[in-house]
Amino acid sequence: MRSKKKEMPSWKQLRFSQLPLRYQLSILFLLIGIVPALGLGVVVNFTVDRIVERQVEDNTLQLIGKVNQSLDKAIDNLQTITYLAEFDEDVQAFIHETGTVRDPRQLTENMSAFFQGFTTLYPEIAGIMVVSSGGAYLSNEMYAYSDADLTKEEWFKQAAEQKGIFTVIGHPGNRSVTTHVNYTPEEVISVARSFVDSETQDIKGVILIDLKLRSLSGIVRDITLGKNGYLMILDKEGDKIYAPENSVLRHFDAAWFDDNSSGTFNKQIGNENFQFQYQTSSYTGWRTIGVFDTGDSALAVREIHFYVVCYLFIVCMFGLMAAYVLSQSISRPIHHLMSLMRKAEKGDMTLRYLGDRGDEVGQLGTSFNRMLQEIKKLMTINRQKEKQKQEAELRSLTAHIKPHFLYNTLDTIHWMAHKQGADDVSVMIQSLSKLFRIGLSKGSHMIPLSQEIEHISSYLQIQKTRYRDRVECHIDIKDDLLDCYVVKLMLQPLVENAIYHGIKARRGAGTILIKVRKQEEVLIITVSDNGAGMDADRLRQLRKQLDDPLATIETHNEEQLPGRSYGLLNIQARIQLTFGPSYGITLDSTQGEGTTATILHPIVTKPQVMLDHVMEEEER
Amino acid sequence: MKKMLFVYGLLLFAFLIYVFQYMSEDNRQGDPAGMGLRGEISEKYVMITFQSGLEYWKSVLKGFEDAADAMNVSIEYRGATNYDIHEQITVLEQAIAKKPAGIALSAMNSHALTAVINRAVDEGIPVVLFDAGVPNSKAYSFLATNNYNAGATAAKQMSELIGGQGEVAVITLPGQQNHIERTKGFTETMKESYPDIEVVDTVDGKGRIEVSRRQTEKLLEKHPHLAGIFITEATGGVGVGEVVKARIEAGKSRVQIISFDTNKGTLDMIQDGTISASIAQGTWNMGYWSLLYLFHLHHELTTPAPSATDVVSPLPVLVDTGINVVNQQNVEQYYAK
Repeated sequence: MRSKKKEMPSWKQLRFSQLPLRYQLSILFLLIGIVPALGLGVVVNFTVDRIVERQVEDNTLQLIGKVNQSLDKAIDNLQTITYLAEFDEDVQAFIHETGTVRDPRQLTENMSAFFQGFTTLYPEIAGIMVVSSGGAYLSNEMYAYSDADLTKEEWFKQAAEQKGIFTVIGHPGNRSVTTHVNYTPEEVISVARSFVDSETQDIKGVILIDLKLRSLSGIVRDITLGKNGYLMILDKEGDKIYAPENSVLRHFDAAWFDDNSSGTFNKQIGNENFQFQYQTSSYTGWRTIGVFDTGDSALAVREIHFYVVCYLFIVCMFGLMAAYVLSQSISRPIHHLMSLMRKAEKGDMTLRYLGDRGDEVGQLGTSFNRMLQEIKKLMTINRQKEKQKQEAELRSLTAHIKPHFLYNTLDTIHWMAHKQGADDVSVMIQSLSKLFRIGLSKGSHMIPLSQEIEHISSYLQIQKTRYRDRVECHIDIKDDLLDCYVVKLMLQPLVENAIYHGIKARRGAGTILIKVRKQEEVLIITVSDNGAGMDADRLRQLRKQLDDPLATIETHNEEQLPGRSYGLLNIQARIQLTFGPSYGITLDSTQGEGTTATILHPIVTKPQVMLDHVMEEEER
Repeated sequence: MKKMLFVYGLLLFAFLIYVFQYMSEDNRQGDPAGMGLRGEISEKYVMITFQSGLEYWKSVLKGFEDAADAMNVSIEYRGATNYDIHEQITVLEQAIAKKPAGIALSAMNSHALTAVINRAVDEGIPVVLFDAGVPNSKAYSFLATNNYNAGATAAKQMSELIGGQGEVAVITLPGQQNHIERTKGFTETMKESYPDIEVVDTVDGKGRIEVSRRQTEKLLEKHPHLAGIFITEATGGVGVGEVVKARIEAGKSRVQIISFDTNKGTLDMIQDGTISASIAQGTWNMGYWSLLYLFHLHHELTTPAPSATDVVSPLPVLVDTGINVVNQQNVEQYYAK
């Protein structure tokens, strides 16, 4: 994503595996955290929608059913009243026009009082009127316009047609009857029933009752369906009995309703879709209709939607944070290690991974550290070896040049001394010449033991000349060992040490014993003297130096080391470089009694092989 | 981290917008614009009368109903079925027990109801009186015709009808406060403004046709030169009219009748000239404004007066619902359309 900003990303860069690790992890964590939550939200919304919708529909139908029952009951009450009125003697007298036998004024007063009784008990009745078939009428509060013939009115005919069956007329509409209190036709519902003569089946009269609509609308008005839904009451023709002020439709086409007594249909009115649920009362023929705007979901659904969305937002925020923290915690140490490696790649070997993590990253860091250390060590050793090799080459070069001139000179001196009869000088020069020749030995590293013995004999010859009787030397060697090859010039430094540090420091003459033995394919060469020996501290120091001769030579200059140490360490280094650390010199010494140096040397009979081996070793 | 914060901010912003939108939508539903002052359908206001089947109350009830429709509240109409003070007390107590939002009461007897009315007010149920009041009760307002003025208006009409001199009589209900005041307004105005007219008699018509008829006959016997009768209620007025009509048909001298209220019988008699005039009360107004007063008291939209006698009450303690004089010229308008 950062790369997006910097340059036009190619398709390859946008591939998932090409993204930095922390983005990969972030995306994965977000997917794991948020996708199930989103799915859950969608499923919950869907289910809630369906369940609530079904419930609302069921409830509405139940509600409509109850409302219908209440309406039926209210109308049924009116029916009861019509019968009660019919039972009244005065009413009977009036409609059968037998009233002439009684005082008509009395009859009127009685009937008014009787009807007044109904409205006393049932104030929802706006008026009661009884009309005889002759057109005369009696009422407590209603009256006809003066010139009207009530028997010609629509409601009268309707009731007469029904032959004594209770008839619901609905809103009275056009009629010549009014109430004194001025109720408009919209405000009342009329019902009527005709009185039929039981013998002749003639219509004797009609009773008309006006019911205040508010007694019915009170049942319906306070019912709210869902958020904005409401109930309406329609008559058989689809005209409204009751509808709230804000209702969308005043008239319904009867064709919209199927024959079933209840049902549901949808209609588009204006720009909005409405759902209608209805139930028809078999008693009054009225339909109670629930009207919903299908656009708004139920209140409960909306609320649940709200909570689900809130939940999703919170999950998103939490998931984002968690994804960030998690991906950071994983990718950061890896990133750190990576930058360390980059620096190390550029050559900075002093860097170290510093962290106390115990996980895979921590282990990687530790391995990285160890690797850096190893590399550094190898590089040091390499450099050291290189340096040693150069030194050795240099030294051998100088050694090559000088001896030839020296030998020739020494030979000349030997012959001159012999000629002039100075035999001791002649012998000494000869010994010196032999010493050098063997020491040079044509540059080879190994020489036969016989030559080594010859070399040390020459050396001793010279030393004897110098120290006369103070040094006595014995060489003890079996002849069959003389053909073995050994590292050259390894005895001379030991003998030199024995003379200078052992015997010279001793009072009187001393003896040096050189002994060569074979023990299980190993040559054991001991050089022992009965000289001054050395104290325990000195011995320990020497032994310690012998343990790691190269390092000791490396850290100290030739001058800083005591002469005896340098020679010793040189032999040790040469033997160990050639044959490995299991061979070499061991020292043993007792103060005042003498020193013994023991060389462990492998038995080598073929010098060529060994030379190759040595050369290989050096090349490496 | 910056990118992270940015995404967070974006998310939070979107969330807040969503919540805000949800809330505002909620509010829009909760408060439909243009609804104005509206109550709950569960608030029930009770109107209590006596002789509750009486046609006279129908108009008051219509006013009460119309106001209830306008305010979107429920009402209940109760009343003593008879002219029985004990029954009315019982009905009132039953109504109080139901803890309605308010009670509008027309009191039959001005003294017996005081205690019950006070109890209702003490229990926090607003009470207003209409048509017939109870002085010294704790009811907040009294909405009625100013009966004294109505009586005075009747006197003025009577004076015009009989030419400023002669004998007149009053038929009334002497036990009822409003009728007493009508009578008082009539007689006192006669005495003060029309010294040539003498109120010769005041009798009890009991508010019934028959009694009024008999009383009229007696009056005419006793005072053969009677020029006019003021009857303070409508039911008896028809009885008086019947007697007078019979007299006119018999060719005897005409007696001018001033009646009260406008029921069908009275209007018919005005139309045919039997009754000269009637005093029409603003009965619809009584019911309508009673409910509005109760509504305002229930919703504490106004401070109720400590008592009905306290004239600094923000709601008027006494409300005159007005009168009209109905005579042959304007009677058509009083018939229902």
